[in-house]
Amino acid sequence: MLICQGETESTPTWFVRHVMFSCCYGSCAALLLTDVFLLHISETPYVYVKPKLYKSVIEDVINEVRELFLDEGVDEQVLLELKTLWENKLLQSKAVEGFHTEEQALQAAQQQVQHQVQQVQQVQQVHHVTQPAQTQQVILPPQQQQAPQQQVIVQDSKMLQHMSATGMSAAATAATLALPTGVTPYQQLITSQGQILQVVRAPNGAQYIIQPQQQILLQQQMQPGGVQAPVIQQVLTPLQGGLPQQTGVIIQPQQIVLASGNKGNTQVMQAAALAQQPIQAATAQAQQVQQVQQVQQAQQAQQAQGTAAPQVPPQPQAPMILQADGTGDTSSEDDEDEEEYDEDEEEEKDKDGGEDGQVEEEPLNSGDDVSDEEDQELFDTENVVVCQYDKIHRSKNKWKFHLKDGIMNLNGRDYVFSKAIGDAEW
Amino acid sequence: MAYQLYRNTTLGNSLQESLDELIQTQQITPQLALQVLLQFDKAINTALANRVRNRVNFRGSLNTYRFCDNVWTFVLNDVEFREVTDLVKVDKVKIVACDGKNSNAAE
Repeated sequence: MLICQGETESTPTWFVRHVMFSCCYGSCAALLLTDVFLLHISETPYVYVKPKLYKSVIEDVINEVRELFLDEGVDEQVLLELKTLWENKLLQSKAVEGFHTEEQALQAAQQQVQHQVQQVQQVQQVHHVTQPAQTQQVILPPQQQQAPQQQVIVQDSKMLQHMSATGMSAAATAATLALPTGVTPYQQLITSQGQILQVVRAPNGAQYIIQPQQQILLQQQMQPGGVQAPVIQQVLTPLQGGLPQQTGVIIQPQQIVLASGNKGNTQVMQAAALAQQPIQAATAQAQQVQQVQQVQQAQQAQQAQGTAAPQVPPQPQAPMILQADGTGDTSSEDDEDEEEYDEDEEEEKDKDGGEDGQVEEEPLNSGDDVSDEEDQELFDTENVVVCQYDKIHRSKNKWKFHLKDGIMNLNGRDYVFSKAIGDAEW
Repeated sequence: MAYQLYRNTTLGNSLQESLDELIQTQQITPQLALQVLLQFDKAINTALANRVRNRVNFRGSLNTYRFCDNVWTFVLNDVEFREVTDLVKVDKVKIVACDGKNSNAAE
Protein backbone atom coordinates (compact mmCIF):
# COMPACT_ATOMS: atom_id res chain seq x y z
CA MET A 1 0.00 0.00 0.00
CA LEU A 2 1.61 3.15 -1.11
CA ILE A 3 0.94 6.51 0.33
CA CYS A 4 1.86 9.54 -1.68
CA GLN A 5 3.69 12.15 0.24
CA GLY A 6 1.79 15.35 0.06
CA GLU A 7 3.64 18.54 -0.15
CA THR A 8 1.61 20.13 2.55
CA GLU A 9 1.47 18.86 6.02
CA SER A 10 -2.26 18.62 6.19
CA THR A 11 -2.78 16.45 3.18
CA PRO A 12 -0.69 13.52 4.21
CA THR A 13 -2.14 13.65 7.68
CA TRP A 14 -5.65 13.37 6.38
CA PHE A 15 -4.70 10.84 3.83
CA VAL A 16 -2.95 8.69 6.31
CA ARG A 17 -5.77 8.83 8.75
CA HIS A 18 -8.13 7.88 6.01
CA VAL A 19 -5.92 5.02 5.12
CA MET A 20 -5.68 3.98 8.69
CA PHE A 21 -9.37 3.59 8.99
CA SER A 22 -9.82 1.90 5.72
CA CYS A 23 -6.81 -0.26 5.86
CA CYS A 24 -7.71 -3.83 6.30
CA TYR A 25 -4.43 -4.67 7.87
CA GLY A 26 -5.41 -3.23 11.17
CA SER A 27 -3.87 -0.53 13.16
CA CYS A 28 -0.43 -2.00 13.30
CA ALA A 29 0.22 -1.86 9.61
CA ALA A 30 -1.35 1.52 9.32
CA LEU A 31 0.81 2.86 12.06
CA LEU A 32 3.85 1.47 10.40
CA LEU A 33 2.94 3.07 7.16
CA THR A 34 2.45 6.35 8.84
CA ASP A 35 5.78 5.97 10.48
CA VAL A 36 7.50 5.44 7.21
CA PHE A 37 5.87 8.15 5.24
CA LEU A 38 4.98 10.83 7.69
CA LEU A 39 8.03 11.52 9.68
CA HIS A 40 8.05 15.10 8.60
CA ILE A 41 4.97 15.79 10.62
CA SER A 42 6.06 17.53 13.74
CA GLU A 43 3.44 15.98 15.91
CA THR A 44 4.37 12.44 15.12
CA PRO A 45 3.75 10.48 18.28
CA TYR A 46 6.74 8.74 19.67
CA VAL A 47 5.04 5.48 19.11
CA TYR A 48 5.71 5.95 15.44
CA VAL A 49 9.24 7.11 15.91
CA LYS A 50 10.28 4.12 17.86
CA PRO A 51 10.68 1.53 15.13
CA LYS A 52 12.95 3.81 13.20
CA LEU A 53 14.93 4.63 16.28
CA TYR A 54 15.36 1.01 17.20
CA LYS A 55 16.30 0.09 13.69
CA SER A 56 18.92 2.78 13.56
CA VAL A 57 20.35 1.64 16.87
CA ILE A 58 20.51 -1.91 15.63
CA GLU A 59 22.21 -0.83 12.45
CA ASP A 60 24.74 1.24 14.34
CA VAL A 61 25.57 -1.51 16.75
CA ILE A 62 25.89 -4.13 14.07
CA ASN A 63 28.11 -1.97 11.95
CA GLU A 64 30.38 -1.03 14.79
CA VAL A 65 30.58 -4.56 15.98
CA ARG A 66 31.46 -5.92 12.57
CA GLU A 67 35.05 -4.92 13.07
CA LEU A 68 35.15 -6.60 16.43
CA PHE A 69 33.78 -9.74 14.92
CA LEU A 70 36.37 -9.76 12.20
CA ASP A 71 39.14 -9.17 14.68
CA GLU A 72 38.05 -12.17 16.62
CA GLY A 73 37.90 -14.18 13.47
CA VAL A 74 34.20 -14.68 13.66
CA ASP A 75 32.37 -15.12 10.43
CA GLU A 76 30.09 -12.47 9.01
CA GLN A 77 27.33 -15.03 9.06
CA VAL A 78 27.34 -15.01 12.81
CA LEU A 79 26.94 -11.27 12.77
CA LEU A 80 23.95 -11.53 10.50
CA GLU A 81 22.54 -14.22 12.68
CA LEU A 82 22.88 -11.97 15.68
CA LYS A 83 21.03 -9.26 13.86
CA THR A 84 18.28 -11.61 12.83
CA LEU A 85 17.87 -13.00 16.31
CA TRP A 86 17.79 -9.52 17.73
CA GLU A 87 15.14 -8.29 15.36
CA ASN A 88 13.03 -11.38 15.78
CA LYS A 89 13.01 -11.05 19.51
CA LEU A 90 11.97 -7.45 19.21
CA LEU A 91 9.17 -8.43 16.91
CA GLN A 92 8.01 -11.14 19.25
CA SER A 93 8.05 -8.92 22.24
CA LYS A 94 5.42 -6.76 20.67
CA ALA A 95 6.79 -3.91 22.66
CA VAL A 96 7.51 -2.14 19.45
CA GLU A 97 5.06 -1.49 16.71
CA GLY A 98 7.12 -3.64 14.44
CA PHE A 99 9.83 -3.10 11.96
CA HIS A 100 8.54 -4.51 8.78
CA THR A 101 5.06 -3.62 7.81
CA GLU A 102 3.84 -6.40 5.66
CA GLU A 103 6.23 -8.90 7.06
CA GLN A 104 4.91 -8.52 10.53
CA ALA A 105 1.34 -8.78 9.42
CA LEU A 106 2.13 -11.87 7.45
CA GLN A 107 4.02 -13.45 10.28
CA ALA A 108 1.24 -12.84 12.71
CA ALA A 109 -1.28 -14.24 10.31
CA GLN A 110 0.89 -17.20 9.54
CA GLN A 111 1.33 -18.07 13.16
CA GLN A 112 -2.36 -18.00 13.76
CA VAL A 113 -3.03 -19.98 10.69
CA GLN A 114 -0.51 -22.60 11.56
CA HIS A 115 -2.11 -23.24 14.87
CA GLN A 116 -5.46 -23.75 13.28
CA VAL A 117 -4.12 -25.76 10.45
CA GLN A 118 -2.60 -28.20 12.83
CA GLN A 119 -5.91 -28.92 14.41
CA VAL A 120 -7.64 -29.18 11.13
CA GLN A 121 -5.07 -31.36 9.59
CA GLN A 122 -5.26 -33.82 12.39
CA VAL A 123 -8.87 -34.39 11.78
CA GLN A 124 -8.48 -34.32 8.11
CA GLN A 125 -5.69 -36.75 7.82
CA VAL A 126 -7.34 -39.29 9.98
CA HIS A 127 -9.96 -39.75 7.43
CA HIS A 128 -7.56 -40.46 4.74
CA VAL A 129 -7.07 -44.12 4.82
CA THR A 130 -4.93 -44.09 1.80
CA GLN A 131 -2.17 -41.74 2.54
CA PRO A 132 1.00 -43.68 2.46
CA ALA A 133 3.70 -41.25 1.71
CA GLN A 134 1.59 -38.35 0.85
CA THR A 135 1.30 -37.01 4.32
CA GLN A 136 4.22 -34.84 3.58
CA GLN A 137 2.29 -33.20 0.87
CA VAL A 138 -0.12 -31.94 3.41
CA ILE A 139 2.29 -29.35 4.55
CA LEU A 140 1.63 -26.13 2.84
CA PRO A 141 3.24 -22.93 3.93
CA PRO A 142 0.59 -20.36 4.36
CA GLN A 143 0.95 -17.85 1.67
CA GLN A 144 -0.76 -14.78 0.50
CA GLN A 145 -2.83 -14.50 3.54
CA GLN A 146 -4.82 -11.46 4.18
CA ALA A 147 -4.03 -10.34 7.64
CA PRO A 148 -7.45 -9.78 9.06
CA GLN A 149 -9.04 -12.87 7.59
CA GLN A 150 -7.71 -16.30 7.50
CA GLN A 151 -9.13 -18.20 4.65
CA VAL A 152 -9.70 -21.85 5.06
CA ILE A 153 -9.97 -24.15 2.19
CA VAL A 154 -12.28 -27.04 2.50
CA GLN A 155 -11.43 -29.76 0.16
CA ASP A 156 -13.81 -32.12 -1.34
CA SER A 157 -13.53 -35.50 0.18
CA LYS A 158 -13.86 -37.33 -3.00
CA MET A 159 -11.34 -35.22 -4.71
CA LEU A 160 -9.00 -35.63 -1.85
CA GLN A 161 -9.30 -39.32 -1.91
CA HIS A 162 -8.73 -39.32 -5.55
CA MET A 163 -5.84 -37.03 -5.29
CA SER A 164 -4.23 -38.85 -2.50
CA ALA A 165 -4.53 -42.03 -4.37
CA THR A 166 -3.01 -40.57 -7.42
CA GLY A 167 -0.37 -38.66 -5.60
CA MET A 168 -1.65 -35.23 -6.15
CA SER A 169 0.13 -32.28 -4.80
CA ALA A 170 -0.22 -31.09 -1.28
CA ALA A 171 -2.85 -28.66 -2.27
CA ALA A 172 -5.15 -31.49 -2.98
CA THR A 173 -4.59 -33.56 0.07
CA ALA A 174 -4.49 -31.01 2.77
CA ALA A 175 -6.75 -28.20 3.68
CA THR A 176 -4.50 -25.35 2.99
CA LEU A 177 -4.56 -22.14 4.71
CA ALA A 178 -3.52 -19.99 1.87
CA LEU A 179 -4.72 -20.15 -1.61
CA PRO A 180 -2.46 -22.45 -3.50
CA THR A 181 -0.99 -21.01 -6.57
CA GLY A 182 -3.37 -21.14 -9.39
CA VAL A 183 -6.45 -21.22 -7.28
CA THR A 184 -8.78 -18.46 -8.10
CA PRO A 185 -11.83 -17.34 -6.19
CA TYR A 186 -14.75 -18.88 -7.83
CA GLN A 187 -17.74 -17.78 -6.01
CA GLN A 188 -18.66 -16.28 -2.74
CA LEU A 189 -21.46 -17.70 -0.74
CA ILE A 190 -22.99 -16.30 2.33
CA THR A 191 -24.53 -18.73 4.68
CA SER A 192 -27.53 -18.05 6.78
CA GLN A 193 -25.22 -17.57 9.66
CA GLY A 194 -23.53 -14.76 7.89
CA GLN A 195 -20.35 -16.53 7.16
CA ILE A 196 -18.84 -15.83 3.86
CA LEU A 197 -17.69 -18.85 2.01
CA GLN A 198 -15.59 -18.58 -1.01
CA VAL A 199 -15.65 -21.39 -3.36
CA VAL A 200 -12.41 -21.78 -5.07
CA ARG A 201 -11.65 -23.86 -8.02
CA ALA A 202 -8.22 -25.28 -7.99
CA PRO A 203 -6.41 -26.04 -11.18
CA ASN A 204 -6.75 -29.70 -10.53
CA GLY A 205 -10.44 -29.39 -10.66
CA ALA A 206 -11.16 -29.74 -7.00
CA GLN A 207 -13.42 -27.15 -5.62
CA TYR A 208 -12.71 -25.81 -2.24
CA ILE A 209 -14.61 -23.76 0.15
CA ILE A 210 -12.71 -20.95 1.63
CA GLN A 211 -14.09 -19.58 4.76
CA PRO A 212 -12.84 -16.84 6.96
CA GLN A 213 -11.85 -18.29 10.19
CA GLN A 214 -14.52 -18.09 12.80
CA GLN A 215 -15.68 -20.10 15.67
CA ILE A 216 -18.33 -22.43 14.61
CA LEU A 217 -20.56 -24.23 17.00
CA LEU A 218 -20.27 -27.69 15.75
CA GLN A 219 -22.28 -29.17 18.48
CA GLN A 220 -25.32 -27.32 17.49
CA GLN A 221 -25.23 -28.68 14.06
CA MET A 222 -25.82 -32.27 14.80
CA GLN A 223 -28.01 -33.70 12.20
CA PRO A 224 -30.74 -36.18 12.80
CA GLY A 225 -28.93 -38.32 10.34
CA GLY A 226 -26.07 -38.63 12.69
CA VAL A 227 -23.75 -40.15 10.26
CA GLN A 228 -23.08 -37.01 8.43
CA ALA A 229 -22.76 -34.68 11.32
CA PRO A 230 -19.82 -36.19 13.09
CA VAL A 231 -18.05 -36.86 9.92
CA ILE A 232 -18.54 -33.38 8.77
CA GLN A 233 -17.38 -32.01 11.99
CA GLN A 234 -14.42 -34.24 12.19
CA VAL A 235 -13.19 -34.01 8.75
CA LEU A 236 -13.70 -30.97 6.81
CA THR A 237 -12.33 -32.08 3.57
CA PRO A 238 -11.17 -35.59 3.17
CA LEU A 239 -14.40 -37.19 4.09
CA GLN A 240 -14.11 -40.79 3.45
CA GLY A 241 -16.90 -41.77 5.70
CA GLY A 242 -19.21 -41.95 2.83
CA LEU A 243 -20.71 -38.56 2.93
CA PRO A 244 -21.93 -38.26 -0.56
CA GLN A 245 -24.19 -35.49 0.44
CA GLN A 246 -21.44 -33.76 2.17
CA THR A 247 -19.20 -33.95 -0.76
CA GLY A 248 -21.98 -32.87 -2.94
CA VAL A 249 -22.36 -29.83 -0.85
CA ILE A 250 -18.76 -29.01 -1.03
CA ILE A 251 -18.29 -29.73 -4.63
CA GLN A 252 -20.92 -27.53 -6.00
CA PRO A 253 -21.24 -24.08 -4.69
CA GLN A 254 -24.87 -23.88 -5.49
CA GLN A 255 -25.63 -26.90 -3.47
CA ILE A 256 -23.82 -25.46 -0.59
CA VAL A 257 -26.31 -22.76 -0.25
CA LEU A 258 -29.26 -24.91 -1.07
CA ALA A 259 -27.98 -27.81 0.87
CA SER A 260 -29.45 -31.06 -0.27
CA GLY A 261 -32.58 -31.95 1.54
CA ASN A 262 -33.20 -30.30 4.78
CA LYS A 263 -29.60 -29.92 5.69
CA GLY A 264 -29.41 -26.59 4.12
CA ASN A 265 -27.47 -24.09 6.05
CA THR A 266 -26.54 -26.52 8.68
CA GLN A 267 -24.45 -28.36 6.24
CA VAL A 268 -22.94 -25.18 5.13
CA MET A 269 -22.27 -24.31 8.65
CA GLN A 270 -20.79 -27.65 9.24
CA ALA A 271 -18.74 -27.36 6.15
CA ALA A 272 -17.60 -24.02 7.30
CA ALA A 273 -16.93 -25.39 10.69
CA LEU A 274 -15.04 -28.25 9.28
CA ALA A 275 -13.24 -25.88 7.03
CA GLN A 276 -11.67 -24.36 10.03
CA GLN A 277 -10.31 -27.54 11.40
CA PRO A 278 -8.71 -28.90 8.29
CA ILE A 279 -7.32 -25.59 7.44
CA GLN A 280 -5.83 -25.31 10.82
CA ALA A 281 -4.16 -28.60 10.37
CA ALA A 282 -3.08 -27.91 6.86
CA THR A 283 0.33 -26.81 7.82
CA ALA A 284 0.88 -29.57 10.29
CA GLN A 285 3.78 -31.87 9.84
CA ALA A 286 3.77 -35.41 8.58
CA GLN A 287 3.54 -36.85 12.03
CA GLN A 288 0.40 -35.02 12.71
CA VAL A 289 -1.01 -36.14 9.45
CA GLN A 290 -0.37 -39.71 10.26
CA GLN A 291 -1.81 -39.31 13.66
CA VAL A 292 -4.82 -37.68 12.20
CA GLN A 293 -5.26 -40.61 9.96
CA GLN A 294 -5.38 -42.88 12.89
CA VAL A 295 -7.80 -40.70 14.66
CA GLN A 296 -9.98 -40.39 11.66
CA GLN A 297 -10.10 -44.10 11.31
CA ALA A 298 -11.17 -44.36 14.88
CA GLN A 299 -13.69 -41.67 14.31
CA GLN A 300 -15.10 -43.35 11.31
CA ALA A 301 -15.94 -46.31 13.43
CA GLN A 302 -17.93 -44.03 15.61
CA GLN A 303 -19.70 -42.29 12.83
CA ALA A 304 -22.45 -44.82 12.66
CA GLN A 305 -23.12 -44.15 16.27
CA GLY A 306 -23.58 -40.50 15.57
CA THR A 307 -20.89 -39.36 17.87
CA ALA A 308 -21.28 -35.90 19.15
CA ALA A 309 -19.19 -33.12 17.89
CA PRO A 310 -17.50 -32.45 21.16
CA GLN A 311 -15.86 -35.75 20.88
CA VAL A 312 -14.06 -34.66 17.83
CA PRO A 313 -11.52 -32.36 19.30
CA PRO A 314 -10.39 -34.60 22.11
CA GLN A 315 -10.32 -37.73 20.08
CA PRO A 316 -7.85 -36.68 17.48
CA GLN A 317 -5.55 -35.44 20.10
CA ALA A 318 -5.68 -38.32 22.49
CA PRO A 319 -4.27 -41.05 20.32
CA MET A 320 -1.87 -38.68 18.72
CA ILE A 321 0.08 -37.83 21.79
CA LEU A 322 2.59 -40.40 22.79
CA GLN A 323 2.53 -40.48 26.49
CA ALA A 324 5.85 -41.17 28.04
CA ASP A 325 4.95 -40.74 31.63
CA GLY A 326 2.30 -42.01 33.94
CA THR A 327 1.33 -45.48 32.98
CA GLY A 328 3.80 -45.44 30.17
CA ASP A 329 6.72 -44.41 32.28
CA THR A 330 9.49 -46.89 32.21
CA SER A 331 12.39 -44.88 33.47
CA SER A 332 11.57 -45.24 37.11
CA GLU A 333 11.22 -48.94 36.71
CA ASP A 334 14.68 -49.14 35.25
CA ASP A 335 16.11 -47.13 38.06
CA GLU A 336 14.54 -49.33 40.60
CA ASP A 337 15.87 -52.37 38.94
CA GLU A 338 19.34 -51.00 38.97
CA GLU A 339 19.29 -50.09 42.61
CA GLU A 340 19.61 -52.46 45.48
CA TYR A 341 16.72 -54.03 47.17
CA ASP A 342 16.98 -52.06 50.38
CA GLU A 343 17.09 -48.80 48.57
CA ASP A 344 14.12 -49.83 46.55
CA GLU A 345 12.12 -50.57 49.58
CA GLU A 346 13.08 -47.31 51.13
CA GLU A 347 12.22 -45.43 48.01
CA GLU A 348 8.90 -47.11 47.72
CA LYS A 349 8.13 -46.24 51.27
CA ASP A 350 9.19 -42.70 50.72
CA LYS A 351 7.16 -42.45 47.62
CA ASP A 352 4.12 -43.80 49.30
CA GLY A 353 4.62 -41.50 52.22
CA GLY A 354 5.26 -38.60 49.96
CA GLU A 355 2.23 -39.26 47.90
CA ASP A 356 0.06 -39.65 50.90
CA GLY A 357 1.49 -36.52 52.35
CA GLN A 358 0.89 -34.64 49.18
CA VAL A 359 -2.62 -35.82 48.94
CA GLU A 360 -3.28 -34.73 52.45
CA GLU A 361 -1.42 -31.51 52.17
CA GLU A 362 -2.81 -30.31 48.92
CA PRO A 363 -6.19 -29.42 50.26
CA LEU A 364 -4.54 -27.73 53.20
CA ASN A 365 -1.96 -25.73 51.32
CA SER A 366 -3.93 -24.98 48.24
CA GLY A 367 -5.16 -21.71 49.55
CA ASP A 368 -1.89 -20.45 50.82
CA ASP A 369 -0.64 -18.96 47.61
CA VAL A 370 -1.13 -15.28 47.38
CA SER A 371 -1.40 -13.90 43.94
CA ASP A 372 -1.34 -10.23 44.56
CA GLU A 373 1.21 -9.62 41.90
CA GLU A 374 -1.01 -11.04 39.24
CA ASP A 375 -3.76 -8.68 40.16
CA GLN A 376 -1.51 -5.71 39.99
CA GLU A 377 0.33 -6.48 36.81
CA LEU A 378 -1.64 -6.15 33.67
CA PHE A 379 0.62 -7.66 31.10
CA ASP A 380 3.07 -9.56 33.23
CA THR A 381 5.46 -6.70 32.77
CA GLU A 382 6.63 -4.52 35.51
CA ASN A 383 6.35 -1.08 34.04
CA VAL A 384 9.87 0.24 34.03
CA VAL A 385 11.33 3.56 33.10
CA VAL A 386 15.06 3.67 32.55
CA CYS A 387 16.41 7.17 32.22
CA GLN A 388 18.71 9.84 33.54
CA TYR A 389 17.77 12.52 35.98
CA ASP A 390 18.43 16.19 35.59
CA LYS A 391 16.96 17.28 38.87
CA ILE A 392 15.04 15.64 41.64
CA HIS A 393 13.33 18.03 43.99
CA ARG A 394 11.39 17.46 47.15
CA SER A 395 9.37 19.81 49.30
CA LYS A 396 7.78 18.19 52.33
CA ASN A 397 6.18 15.24 50.68
CA LYS A 398 5.86 16.76 47.23
CA TRP A 399 8.37 15.42 44.79
CA LYS A 400 9.23 16.82 41.41
CA PHE A 401 11.15 14.86 38.81
CA HIS A 402 13.06 16.23 35.90
CA LEU A 403 14.19 13.32 33.79
CA LYS A 404 15.71 12.92 30.37
CA ASP A 405 16.67 10.37 27.74
CA GLY A 406 14.47 7.58 28.88
CA ILE A 407 13.02 4.35 27.62
CA MET A 408 9.73 3.26 29.12
CA ASN A 409 7.98 -0.06 29.02
CA LEU A 410 4.39 0.50 30.01
CA ASN A 411 1.69 -2.13 29.75
CA GLY A 412 3.98 -4.15 27.57
CA ARG A 413 4.71 -1.41 25.09
CA ASP A 414 7.83 0.64 24.62
CA TYR A 415 8.01 4.39 24.69
CA VAL A 416 10.93 6.80 24.58
CA PHE A 417 11.33 10.38 25.63
CA SER A 418 13.98 13.03 25.62
CA LYS A 419 12.49 14.86 28.58
CA ALA A 420 10.02 13.88 31.25
CA ILE A 421 8.64 15.98 34.03
CA GLY A 422 6.61 14.49 36.81
CA ASP A 423 4.95 15.16 40.12
CA ALA A 424 4.19 12.81 42.92
CA GLU A 425 3.18 12.85 46.51
CA TRP A 426 4.77 10.54 48.93
CA MET B 1 32.01 4.22 29.33
CA ALA B 2 28.42 5.04 28.70
CA TYR B 3 25.78 4.02 31.12
CA GLN B 4 24.90 0.37 31.06
CA LEU B 5 21.55 1.52 32.18
CA TYR B 6 19.73 0.70 29.00
CA ARG B 7 20.58 -2.98 28.91
CA ASN B 8 17.42 -3.79 30.82
CA THR B 9 15.10 -2.62 28.10
CA THR B 10 13.34 -4.48 25.36
CA LEU B 11 16.07 -3.56 22.97
CA GLY B 12 18.85 -4.39 25.36
CA ASN B 13 17.37 -7.61 26.66
CA SER B 14 16.69 -8.95 23.22
CA LEU B 15 20.29 -8.21 22.31
CA GLN B 16 21.56 -9.97 25.39
CA GLU B 17 19.37 -12.97 24.74
CA SER B 18 20.57 -13.18 21.18
CA LEU B 19 24.16 -12.98 22.31
CA ASP B 20 23.55 -15.69 24.88
CA GLU B 21 22.17 -17.95 22.21
CA LEU B 22 25.24 -17.44 20.09
CA ILE B 23 27.47 -18.11 23.05
CA GLN B 24 25.67 -21.33 23.80
CA THR B 25 26.18 -22.52 20.28
CA GLN B 26 29.75 -21.36 20.68
CA GLN B 27 29.61 -19.12 17.71
CA ILE B 28 31.03 -16.21 19.66
CA THR B 29 33.01 -15.87 22.80
CA PRO B 30 31.66 -14.26 25.96
CA GLN B 31 34.34 -11.65 25.61
CA LEU B 32 33.04 -10.70 22.22
CA ALA B 33 29.51 -10.56 23.56
CA LEU B 34 30.65 -8.16 26.22
CA GLN B 35 32.21 -5.97 23.59
CA VAL B 36 28.97 -5.97 21.69
CA LEU B 37 27.09 -4.88 24.77
CA LEU B 38 29.52 -2.07 25.40
CA GLN B 39 29.02 -0.96 21.85
CA PHE B 40 25.30 -1.15 22.36
CA ASP B 41 25.57 1.08 25.40
CA LYS B 42 27.31 3.73 23.38
CA ALA B 43 24.88 3.47 20.51
CA ILE B 44 21.76 3.66 22.61
CA ASN B 45 23.04 6.56 24.66
CA THR B 46 23.90 8.45 21.52
CA ALA B 47 20.62 7.65 19.87
CA LEU B 48 18.55 8.73 22.83
CA ALA B 49 20.46 11.94 23.16
CA ASN B 50 20.34 12.88 19.51
CA ARG B 51 17.44 11.18 17.81
CA VAL B 52 14.65 11.53 20.30
CA ARG B 53 12.89 14.83 20.72
CA ASN B 54 9.73 14.58 22.69
CA ARG B 55 8.44 15.37 26.11
CA VAL B 56 6.39 13.39 28.53
CA ASN B 57 4.61 14.47 31.67
CA PHE B 58 3.55 12.20 34.41
CA ARG B 59 1.77 12.40 37.70
CA GLY B 60 1.18 9.87 40.40
CA SER B 61 1.80 8.98 43.99
CA LEU B 62 5.20 8.05 45.28
CA ASN B 63 5.41 4.75 47.02
CA THR B 64 9.13 4.39 47.65
CA TYR B 65 12.30 6.26 46.83
CA ARG B 66 15.93 5.30 47.04
CA PHE B 67 19.13 7.15 46.30
CA CYS B 68 22.21 5.02 46.28
CA ASP B 69 25.45 5.36 44.32
CA ASN B 70 24.00 8.37 42.58
CA VAL B 71 21.16 6.33 41.25
CA TRP B 72 17.58 7.18 42.03
CA THR B 73 15.04 4.42 42.15
CA PHE B 74 11.39 5.27 42.57
CA VAL B 75 8.25 3.23 42.71
CA LEU B 76 5.13 5.15 41.83
CA ASN B 77 1.50 4.07 41.96
CA ASP B 78 -1.47 5.05 39.86
CA VAL B 79 0.56 7.02 37.40
CA GLU B 80 -0.60 8.79 34.30
CA PHE B 81 1.94 9.34 31.58
CA ARG B 82 0.84 12.04 29.28
CA GLU B 83 2.25 12.97 25.95
CA VAL B 84 0.88 15.44 23.47
CA THR B 85 -1.13 12.82 21.70
CA ASP B 86 -1.96 10.07 24.11
CA LEU B 87 -2.22 9.01 27.68
CA VAL B 88 -1.00 5.89 29.40
CA LYS B 89 -2.13 4.84 32.84
CA VAL B 90 -0.38 2.28 34.96
CA ASP B 91 -0.96 1.03 38.45
CA LYS B 92 2.66 0.71 39.33
CA VAL B 93 5.86 1.84 37.72
CA LYS B 94 9.48 1.65 38.69
CA ILE B 95 11.75 4.45 37.61
CA VAL B 96 15.49 3.98 37.60
CA ALA B 97 17.45 7.12 36.89
CA CYS B 98 21.17 7.66 36.65
CA ASP B 99 22.79 10.99 37.00
CA GLY B 100 22.30 12.87 33.82
CA LYS B 101 24.04 16.08 34.66
CA ASN B 102 27.52 14.99 33.85
CA SER B 103 27.05 12.04 31.61
CA ASN B 104 30.56 12.62 30.36
CA ALA B 105 31.88 11.88 33.79
CA ALA B 106 30.43 8.41 33.57
CA GLU B 107 32.06 7.73 30.22
